[in-house]
Amino acid sequence: MAAVKRGLFRNTKLNPSLIFGAAILIFIVAVSFVGPVVVNQKMARVGAVDPNLAPTAQNVFGSDSQGRDVFTTLILAVPPTLRVGLIAGLISVFLGLSLGLVAGFFGGWADWLIRTFSDVLMAIPSIAFMILVVARMDRPNIVVVSVVVGFLTWSGTARGIRSMVLTIRERSYTAVARANGETELEVLFREVMPNLLPLMLASFIGAVTMGIATVMALEVLGLGNNVIPTLGMMIFWSQRFSAVLRGMWWWWGPPIVVIALIFIGLFFVSFGLDRYLNPAIPINRARARARRAIQPGSTATSISRGAVLEVKNLKVIYETAAGVVKAVDDVSFALRPGERMGLIGESGSGKTTMATAMMRLSRPPAYIVGGQVLLDGRDLLQISDRDVNRIRLKDIALMPQAAMNSLNPVMRIGPQITDAILFHMGRMSKQKLDDMVGQALTKVGLKPAIARRFPHQLSGGMKQRAAMAIATILHPKVIIADEPTSALDVVVQQQVMSTMGRLQEELGAAVVLIGHDMGLITQFSDTIGVLYAGKLVERGSVQDVLANPYHPYTRLLIDSLPSLDGKHALVSIPGLPPELLNLPSGCTFHPRCPLAFERCRSEAPAVQEMQGGRQVACHLYPEHTELPSMHIKLDGVEATEVPYA
Amino acid sequence: MLRYIGQRFLQFFLIIFIANSLTFLLPRVIPGDPIQEALQVKAAAAGTQNVDIQAWVKSYNQKFGLDQPLWKQYINYWNDLIHLNLGYSLYDYPATVASKILAAIPWTLGFMSVAIIFAFIVGSALGALLAWPNSPRFMQGLVPLLMVISAIPFYLFGLALIWVFAVQWGILPSGGGYDPILILRWDWKTAANILRHAILPALALVLFGVGSWALSMRATLVTVLGEDYITFAQAKGLPDRNVFMRYGVRNALLPQVTGLAIAFGLILGSGVIIESIFNYPGIGNLIFAAISEKDYFVINGTVAIMVLCASTALLIVDLIYPLIDPRIRYGK
Repeated sequence: MAAVKRGLFRNTKLNPSLIFGAAILIFIVAVSFVGPVVVNQKMARVGAVDPNLAPTAQNVFGSDSQGRDVFTTLILAVPPTLRVGLIAGLISVFLGLSLGLVAGFFGGWADWLIRTFSDVLMAIPSIAFMILVVARMDRPNIVVVSVVVGFLTWSGTARGIRSMVLTIRERSYTAVARANGETELEVLFREVMPNLLPLMLASFIGAVTMGIATVMALEVLGLGNNVIPTLGMMIFWSQRFSAVLRGMWWWWGPPIVVIALIFIGLFFVSFGLDRYLNPAIPINRARARARRAIQPGSTATSISRGAVLEVKNLKVIYETAAGVVKAVDDVSFALRPGERMGLIGESGSGKTTMATAMMRLSRPPAYIVGGQVLLDGRDLLQISDRDVNRIRLKDIALMPQAAMNSLNPVMRIGPQITDAILFHMGRMSKQKLDDMVGQALTKVGLKPAIARRFPHQLSGGMKQRAAMAIATILHPKVIIADEPTSALDVVVQQQVMSTMGRLQEELGAAVVLIGHDMGLITQFSDTIGVLYAGKLVERGSVQDVLANPYHPYTRLLIDSLPSLDGKHALVSIPGLPPELLNLPSGCTFHPRCPLAFERCRSEAPAVQEMQGGRQVACHLYPEHTELPSMHIKLDGVEATEVPYA
Repeated sequence: MLRYIGQRFLQFFLIIFIANSLTFLLPRVIPGDPIQEALQVKAAAAGTQNVDIQAWVKSYNQKFGLDQPLWKQYINYWNDLIHLNLGYSLYDYPATVASKILAAIPWTLGFMSVAIIFAFIVGSALGALLAWPNSPRFMQGLVPLLMVISAIPFYLFGLALIWVFAVQWGILPSGGGYDPILILRWDWKTAANILRHAILPALALVLFGVGSWALSMRATLVTVLGEDYITFAQAKGLPDRNVFMRYGVRNALLPQVTGLAIAFGLILGSGVIIESIFNYPGIGNLIFAAISEKDYFVINGTVAIMVLCASTALLIVDLIYPLIDPRIRYGK
């Protein structure tokens, strides 16, 4: 049940479309209950008043050509119209739910049969089919009609439910429940049903809309019951007596407004529900705000001597519904030309956020709120959009994470390289362009013919190489490689990394290699930076750090590496990475730190300069000159049981 | 690839088979005698009240083979359908259903296809503008308006349009496909006349269509703009406009095009009401008239054509989708 609550009410703020739509629907439903009691129902009979009366104080909407009071008829028409939707909706959702569940749970030929039948229903234009059915009836019975509509509209619901059942079955807790000895059916009711509720609600609204719309369409075509007034029949009557041409707006206008209100209410409710079901849909306005949010740091743009890139006090936050999260907190470092820097951290430590922020590519909900990224005496975070575009790729290039999704799926590889070249270098001959692309592809170990392929025709390693070709084509001074090999298997990983190393030597570019794989990173890098919960906790040359780490976290990271000589048992770092929303006080590592003392709980350590140009953020220094030995059992199992406060 | 196509065709014929069996069977299990009803309507229209309706019905039943056992009728039904012989109109006998449908189809195809294409282009462009991060703020105010437009059944716009343009201002005709006094010839005058009559029904469709195309384009585009390849395209330094068009819109157009194909598949059915409101001489009006004349064979034949059209469109979508989206390959 808890899962549903999270799913449906994840956003704490109520969604305006939902409120607006629900308000309209509540109003309409209230009218349908109260209205018939309040009005004088006799006024809606044929001949109750003089025909064709224009609106007066007594007959607010005048009368129609058959002597019915339009206002009274309108009020009486609302309940039957809503009832139609209700019946169709209930039947449709019931059928969709049961057939979807059957298809999802039993699969096999039951699934095939249901899917084929729902395909058939999708292929039959429901309005045409209904005409066929209803035209046979002597006096169309709206209840029967709405039942048939319900039978015609379940396929969408069934599809949704089926795929949801399949997903839920894959999830671990269903397996756990089954392992606990519950039968498939028990699992179905206890575990799956609650998760289907939000989807069912949305399906119900959809089916109600379909039901009302279909029955109304039939009525407007003349396939309605002439005795019971409904909104559709009112339109039909007014059409038959040419009310529009005769200028009797009071006859056809009011029912149109009520119909419109009903459909608008339903639409906004389903739109609002969709927002709950798919909260990933970002809000447009937030996108535009991202740029404005950059606060100027220092105006000085002098870069440290000998550095090609310098990051100063970079701060990036995430604005989430639950609050503001500091994803990158006051990170500073400088990069020498040609330096290979490894940036390591667990997931959630702010690695990728750093990478995108350094390119000024942060997107809402991420905002760069402070600091500087200095390159060539310019602050990337302060210059104009146009200037930053000129610098990207040419001076500082991104080699993206998950190259699988980083290439445009509907564009061949070649154009994805040439559009960048053309933008930065201006027009050039086709021949020269092809040469450049061919060379770039050859350099990363791909055949030039790859340029004519689509990304989906390449393997993961080839895609990563193609992304590498793009990133290096203009010989940038700095390359930010954001977990470039995380999606590849180990052998391909090694090949890609060695290609990258060779390329880096050729270009002499400085590389920031971001990742979580300590082994891979130390193998590649000259220097290393350790990120923990958005803070850079240690920085120094790879040899120094590996031989003599200052920060307890770094020590644990190194000890967690398998070593070939097998001298020590594997250690895993106690506890879990901290939740950024709920960071521990003081030093954010203290709950997991074997050496934590009182000060660590209350005061966040500042970055200190150490011997040999190294940096560390830890309260152990400067009292100590090196990391004291840590008394944790070198036994993975016990170490992981250190509770995370 | 051949296997994929084979599978799709098999499914297509299965759909056609089941759908048409349903259109045959369902009306026959619902009580009512269409022949008798149709003849009663006809007799009443002709003012001949005291004809022996029963004898007449009997002769008609014989003529249309309705006195035969159900399975025989079913076989005949398929036989006729395969030869596109949809039988005779009950009301206009001896006019055939096929000739009536053929006369009506160009009208529907004409105004509907123009309306669909126009709405698709304008709607998709508007949707793209709405998702464009740099477009002016007031554009966002259009979203609720578009939501309202696409929520309301579009034939209601038809009534409002007639009232404004034909009744209040009198600048456009209120209905029909052309002036009744006009003699149809292949000349500009006829063309202009036909065009004038098509404007209002098409406008009603366009209004609705623009709203729904724009909303779907906006939704897809917003999702696409969150993809990794957009970030990487920006990292290449490409200007926003370039990234948006070549990387965003190009990907977001794929589902839109599928929607367009499906809209064309439903072209015969979706205009039924708007045509009846505008008294437009297309398929919709044919079915509308057949309903009031209880001309059951016309209704049956028209529905069969609509089903055929819709399922063919679904088949075509499935077959061409791998061509427009390189990711999807036949055979998988």
